[in-house]
Parts: sequence; C-alpha cells; structure tokens
Amino acid sequence: MNSTDARHFDSAPKRFLRLATSFSLCCILAWSSLGLLPAWADSGSERDVVNVSDSHAALEAIRPYVERLRSNVSEFTLENGAHFIVLERHDAPVVSFVTYADVGGVDEPEGQTGVAHYLEHLAFKGTETLGTKDYAAEKVLFRQLDRKFNQIKRIKALGKTDTLVRLESEFDDIKAEASKLVRRNELGQVIEREGGVGLNAATSADSTTYFYSLPANKLELWMYLESERFRDPVFREFYEEKDVILEERRMRFDNDPVSQLFEAMKNEAFQVHPYGQPLIGHVEDIRNVSRQDVQRFFNTHYGPDNLTFAIVGDVDTEQVRQYAQSYFGNYQRKASDRPVSIPPEPQQTAERSIELRAPAQPWYVEAYHIPGMGEADYITYSVLGDILSNGRTSRLYRNLVEQEQVALAAQGLTGYPGDKYPNLMVFYALVAPGRTLEETKTSLHNQLQQIAEQPPEVAELDRVKRQLKASVLRSLESNQGMGQVLTEYHAKTGDWQNLIRDLEAIARLTPADIQRVAKSALRPDNRTVARLLPDETAQSSVAP
Amino acid sequence: MKVSLAYPWAARWSRRVRRFTTGLCLSVVLLSCQFLLSHQSSSAAPQSYQDLEFPPLPELQLPDYQRLQLNNGLTVYLMEDHDLPLVDGTALIRTGSRFESAEQAGLASLTGSLLRSGGTEKESPAELNQFLEDRAASIETSLRKTAGRATFSTLSEDLEPVFQRFADVMRRPAFDPTQVDLALAQTRGSLARRNDDPGDIAGREFNKVIYGETSPYGRTVEPETVDKISRPDMVKLYRETFFPNRMILGIYGDFDATEMLALIQDNFGDWKPTTQALPALPEVNQAHMDEVFVVDQPQVNQSDVRLGHLGGLLSSEDYPALSVLNGVMNGFGGRLPNEIRSRQGLAYSVYAYWSPSYDYPGTFVAGAQTRTETTIPLIEGIREQIRVVQDAPISEDELKYAKESTLNSFVFNFQNPSQTLSRLMRYEYYGYPSDFIFQYQKAVEATTAADVQRVAQEYLKPEKLVTLVVGNVKAFETSLKTLNKDQPLRRIKL
Repeated sequence: MNSTDARHFDSAPKRFLRLATSFSLCCILAWSSLGLLPAWADSGSERDVVNVSDSHAALEAIRPYVERLRSNVSEFTLENGAHFIVLERHDAPVVSFVTYADVGGVDEPEGQTGVAHYLEHLAFKGTETLGTKDYAAEKVLFRQLDRKFNQIKRIKALGKTDTLVRLESEFDDIKAEASKLVRRNELGQVIEREGGVGLNAATSADSTTYFYSLPANKLELWMYLESERFRDPVFREFYEEKDVILEERRMRFDNDPVSQLFEAMKNEAFQVHPYGQPLIGHVEDIRNVSRQDVQRFFNTHYGPDNLTFAIVGDVDTEQVRQYAQSYFGNYQRKASDRPVSIPPEPQQTAERSIELRAPAQPWYVEAYHIPGMGEADYITYSVLGDILSNGRTSRLYRNLVEQEQVALAAQGLTGYPGDKYPNLMVFYALVAPGRTLEETKTSLHNQLQQIAEQPPEVAELDRVKRQLKASVLRSLESNQGMGQVLTEYHAKTGDWQNLIRDLEAIARLTPADIQRVAKSALRPDNRTVARLLPDETAQSSVAP
Repeated sequence: MKVSLAYPWAARWSRRVRRFTTGLCLSVVLLSCQFLLSHQSSSAAPQSYQDLEFPPLPELQLPDYQRLQLNNGLTVYLMEDHDLPLVDGTALIRTGSRFESAEQAGLASLTGSLLRSGGTEKESPAELNQFLEDRAASIETSLRKTAGRATFSTLSEDLEPVFQRFADVMRRPAFDPTQVDLALAQTRGSLARRNDDPGDIAGREFNKVIYGETSPYGRTVEPETVDKISRPDMVKLYRETFFPNRMILGIYGDFDATEMLALIQDNFGDWKPTTQALPALPEVNQAHMDEVFVVDQPQVNQSDVRLGHLGGLLSSEDYPALSVLNGVMNGFGGRLPNEIRSRQGLAYSVYAYWSPSYDYPGTFVAGAQTRTETTIPLIEGIREQIRVVQDAPISEDELKYAKESTLNSFVFNFQNPSQTLSRLMRYEYYGYPSDFIFQYQKAVEATTAADVQRVAQEYLKPEKLVTLVVGNVKAFETSLKTLNKDQPLRRIKL
C-alpha cells in the first residue's frame, strides 16, 4: 500500500516511449499522456465497417460530457498574474493539484543545460522556514560554500593539485556543517504525513510541473505549502543534489543506448532551436551550474504571471478563490525579464543522419519537422500518426510487424521533444531478428509513401475519431490527469477551452487533410535518420 | 487504470521509467510559531502549516455491489456507475505460470496472449481486431505468475457485442497458427533485446538468486524453453485451465445489473465446470544465502545494486508493522532517501522494502543505482541503515509520520468505486477476508515503536542477505570481495 511514482524529470526518450506504449491516439498529447486509454485501439482494413458513427456524431455523443466539463470549470487570475483553474468533482473527498510553470529546457541559457530540471529538484528543498533548523546560519554557510565552489573551479582549470585537495576538503567540511542545519525533506514529509499521494514533479522541454493529491479537507495545506514554496524557495543541499542529478543522468542517459540514440537524433534535427539540447543537461553544465545561476533562472521564470495552478476535485470554487487571494495574492511580480524569443529552426534542406554503436540490438528511427501546437495542422499530424501506428489494425503494425515481420514494434508519434514550438514527428522500429535495418527502413518508407500518395480510407479516419471520443471520456475520470490537461492547454494556447476547439477540429478532418500533411512533411529533405547498431567491438550482450 | 500491453517486450519498454517510492517520513520536531514568515501575510494566512486546522473528512462511502454465482460456479461481481457511458470488465482465472513446467517456461504467458491475439472460432484475429478497434473497445488477456486475467473495455452502447466477443475469447479461442508463429518469433526477438538496457538486468536476475533459477518464482523464459513451445501445448494448457468455476468476473460501469446478469447467463451459463482440483502451490525456499553475485557490464559507469532475502505473506499478522517499517525507511524523508540520496548524494533512487505477496513468500529487497566508484559505500550505507533500525527503536515522530501517512491517505483507496471492486475480487481470489483493508488500517493504527523494532529484528536477516551488482565489475571487485571473505564472487553470465 505504498504509492509508487516515477520521480521527477521525465526524460525525453522515456516520455516518448511512454507515449508510444500508452497511446498516441487523440492527437492531443495532453489527453493521451494520461495513460487512461484502452490497451489497444485503432485501425484500418478492407472489412466492412459496421454502424460506425460518422465523425460529427462521434463528437455529438460526447457533447453532454464536454458541456458538463465546461460548466464545472471556473477560472480566475490574481492581480499579480497567477492563474487558477478549478474543476469541481464531488465523487470522492479528494483533490489533485497541479502547478504548471511555463518554463522548460528550451528556456535555459547557453552553458546551463539542465538548469530547469536542477531547479525542479531544488524546489523540494523548502523555504526560509521549512526544511531548516536555522536559516540565518545556513545562509552564511551557503555563501562560504559558493565561494569555495568557484575557487575550486578556477584552481581545477589551473591544475594545481595540492591546493585543490585542500580546498575540496574545506568545502566538504562546510558542506557537512550546513547539512546539520537541514530538516531533510520536510516539505515532502509534511505532505505525506497529511495523506498526500503522488507527490512528484516533471521537467520537459516546454514546461515544469509539480503535483500531488490530498484528502479534500486539506485544501488549505496545499495553499500554504505551495505558495511558500514558490515565493522564496531556498536551494539548500545544492551540492548534494548535484550528485543526485548526475546519478539520475547516468541511469537515464549514460547507460541507456536508446536514450542516447534519441538525444543524438534530436540534436541533429535541431541545429538552432534549443529542442536540440539535452533536457537533463551536459555533464559539464550540471557540474558547473551555481546556486546563483539557479536563482537567476528562478527569478526570470517563476514569477506568478508565469504560473498556472489547477485544483481538481471535491472543493468549493469560492473557497478556493478566497484562499488563493490570501495565500498567493501577495506575491511580487518578477517574471518581467524573460527572454523575448527563442530562435526558430531554419528550414531543413537535405536529409541528415546519425549512427550510434552500442551493445544493443538495432533500432531504426527517423524524424520529420512539423508545426507546433499553436498551428491548426498540428492535430492533423497527430491523427496521421494514429492512422499509421495506433493499435493492432494500424498500418505499421499490420505491415511491418504482422505481414513482413521486419520489426518487433513500429510506432509513429508527434510532439517530440515538445510541442509548444515546431517539433518532430518521429517513427521508430525495433528491427526483427534476422532482418536488416535497411529492410525495416524500406518497409517503413513504403507505408509513408503510400499515405502521402493516397488519402486514407474514411473508415480508418473514423476509427481514430471514435478512439478519441472514448479516450476523452476516460480521461475525465482522473483528477490528476484533468489538472495536467487544463494547465497545459491554458499555458500553451492561452485558454483551456482550446481543448474543445481541437476536439471539434479533429471531428472535421477529412482523408484529404491527412494526405495533405503527409505529403507536406514526409519528404527526404525534411528527414533526420538515426540508426542504433550493435557494437561488434564491445562485449556483446545479445542473449544466447 | 494502467494501460495493459499486448506484447511482453512492449511491457518491458514501458517499465523503464525508474520508480521512486514515496512512503513516509522522518522526525520533524514540532516547531512553535517562532518562525517569521518571509512575506507579509495577509490577516487570514497562518504563520506555519502547523497552525492550520482541517475540517473532518466525510465518512467513507462504500459503493453498492452484487456478488452472485451462476450454477456452473462462475462468480460474478456487478457494480453500476452511470457517470460516464463506459463499461469495464475483468475476469480472474485460477491458474498461473507458476504451474507450467520449467522446460516450457513461457508457455503460460504465450497462451495468455494468444487467447486474445489468436482470434476465435467465430472471427479471425484480423476480424476481431477490426471489430473492437472500430468501436474503440478492447479485450486483452494474460497469464501471469499467480493468475490468469482477461479484461474488456467498451462504450456502453457497444456492450452486448463486445461482451459476446469477450466470452468467445475465453471459451472459443482459435490459437491461429500464424499468430502463434508471430508470437514465438516476437518472444525470441524480445529475448535478444533483454540486456540492451542494463537497468533491466538487475530485477530479473535478483529473483533468480533469491528463489533459484528453476523456481517458478525465479526462472525466466529462455530461447531453449521457447523452442519447446508449440501451438498444441497452448491448446492443451487452455483446455486444462479455463473453467467457469475457476473464474471471478467483475463488471463495472454504465449498465443495468439485471440485464447484465442475463447477458452473462447467455454467454457463460452453458459453460461446463470442472471437478479437477488445482495443483498444489510450488514450494519456496531461498536459493542462496549471504552470497555476492555480479553481472559484468564493462561499458557502464553506474552500478545497479540489489540486496535482499526471502520475505513473507501479506496475510501475516506482522505485515501492518512491517509496512510501518517500510514507511520509516522509504519515501520523501524516509531514512534511506534522507541519508543516502539527500545527505550523501549517492543515488537518485534508493529503497528497502518488505514486499510480501498474497499466497507465496515475497521478498525483502533493498536497492539503488550509484556511480561505479561508490558501489561499496552504497552497499555499506544500506546495510548500515538495516542495522540501525534493528538496534534502536524508531522515534515517536518517525512512528507518527509512518502511521499517519498511511492512515491519512487511506481515502485514496476509495477514490473510484472500481478500486473497491477490484480489491474485493483480488481478496476472494487469494482467499482473503473482504474487509482485509480495514483490518490492515486498524492494525496500523495500533502499531507501536516497539512493534516496529521487533519486526525489524525478527524479519530482516542481515546474515541471509544476497547481494547482486550489475556493473563494471573490474572496477570494484577487489573491494566487493571484502564484503564476504569466505565466499568467492559469483559471476552470472547472461
């Protein structure tokens, strides 16, 4: 009866795999990432399709539930810009909270990759009153530590070993002193002791989210803790956490060939836009980033006008409004100096490719640039991905896996590594034993070519629309999931109701729309190919 | 609701996200209002979270349900919920891969997935796929270690035809030969990939060193065992296994119970029961004691470490105290994360769990991933924490935290009525009382610090701990040998 949770940081390839396995269906990442969808779904073949309602009817059927959602959601913005979305659901005396900070890997300054994620870890360390025995004393030690840290960096560069050993030993002594003043993980303890579950956070290329659920009678506890946490967080245990993050990096990246493959692929695909940078950060950047860097990043991006809060569950909206005003109302505005723009990725003009050798079986991956979530066509690409690879009747499964048997699995999806900006539509295939990577590639290209040359059948498209209907209904059951969707839509599109706009737009899609986007994006000169090949020189880890 | 995956390899990919276990807490000395808040509080805002007062939660409302039995012994649970136009069903079948022969390891699991993917006597696999996916419905089946499981999920407007197919899958599976071949090829393919991510190795090999490599609880599917599996074996296993009197069927959602019951009767009522008794459960012993195993992965820079020994049953009267112990050791502010993660920065995730099973001895397992150079300090750090919790009673604050986080979050076991339904089915399947969760709650309430120390001493056995390290062995083997001087390092070849 212990709740378990994937902790913090959702690395891009893992997120991708999670989506791929959980379901890419309804175009809208946010809906599908709830993981509440049926195990398989989707479509496509010659058999006559019985009684499948047309697209318009599909949306009509869920309209009462969409209307119910609309009438149960309230929103308000405090004077300082903090935005709150409240969804009342009184089925059980519980409530879920999501804090969505509109900042992610893309917002990191040069030389500070990983700082968004670092900050996410440090946001669990407390405040001037929470997590400490004596903040005044801690503050003095932090200054000493930070000074020593900078000295060490300089001395290292000069290669003065003797001095370095002395400095490091002094550094460790001060760190140990500071450590004694910490009430370790007090924030998390309080939440869990009061019955909180699912306490966690996730950093993505686009955003950083913090979330947990409480019994409904403890609404005010969240108000207190969350407002304190993001008013003046104290980044204590800064250097200890550096080691933790480096361990996380080893686990998720260094020792996982598939993560490395995806990282290398997006780095090749994005030569200007920061989507090409590693979310967890380059090792050197993680090592070098200072407490001041994190503080600066916080000051720039965590102003109240950059935060969206969702409160979903057994609460009274009026009560939420009063608490929000009293707890969050006196935040000082400080998000004014956000960098204006992120450089767009120039149009790709020729095919690119990378290759990775590792003691692992082959993967074939390719990616195509597509528009971001703000563009009308984004959802069309998502539906294209579903037609190709969602479920046992999808084109890639039937052809690559079942008939030709060139792949153990083959999937396509959009929104990698994020979707706030123009992003990638990715296809991947796990090459089947005894088949070559090039055979897999040829089969995949046949399928992509076919849909670019010929519109999908109406039945295929209807199937995807109907899947969407079911997945929307299922996602309504989850407080936490709805909190994520509402905040993400608000932050990325300016209004959570665009979610409904997208549903309606999907209902209107025609086979010609699908073919049009396939034709426009699935071109060799818009493609980045990534191959993972067994490393013959390294020790083989192939099963006997 | 977890998404179930049709293929074994797919399930592996989805499990790759590391898990960090949240549980409980450390001593927080209660603070008075000496703190000055860093902001200007408005008049309504309190000075500290400890000043907050919470209204009581309403009493738990248990959802209504019916439990009944058809004449052929099929047990049925029905729970209506008309909030959304959806119906979900689950059947538990008394079987499991633990009954298959070691030579054919993998047979049960393959049979379980072919039951669905192999089509039925009425519809080919492609037709069945098409029918379901056209309706955004699903039917999935699996055979796991201790149970068989079949589920369906549908919009309520399609309930009848989907349910008929659910019955066809359970009663008239066709085991289509092409799909059987595909599944065998896919299994071989996934075996070839099972070591690609070193993170997947430790969990698999750990069960082997605890239960033994031939034990049904430790063994793994191997290319040789797959070679011994054929379609007739699957058909035979199916015929010997699937009977109405070995099945518990639970249905939740937007239906009318009377109509549903008639539908169940129509589709399952004429199914003949068996008089055969189930085989006895396999015996369980710890395979190795106090030994150190290594799996060499020279290319990695981080060691994946597990320590553990055989554990116990969920029904043990000491389980509630052991779960409080889990709370003291794990979670935000648990002793291991506090000490090894937050203070020493040795690992991203670290844990030690008493992890019981319903009807066979589970494990006690501790573990973490740490950079190659700190492999030994990490192992020593975990062992130290086990010693400490045995040697001295936990503080009252720790006890309070561990208990309150279980008790205060109890309501989350009742968030959705379907949780209650699946719990009732699980309890019945494993022969537990239907109020087991409330008995557990009461026992946690009654647990004392002395109880926690007693169970730590009685159930955690440092002398039985088996250690498994997946990593760059050359870098730490000399010091690893010193952990146990009497025994050589045992090297596992993959």
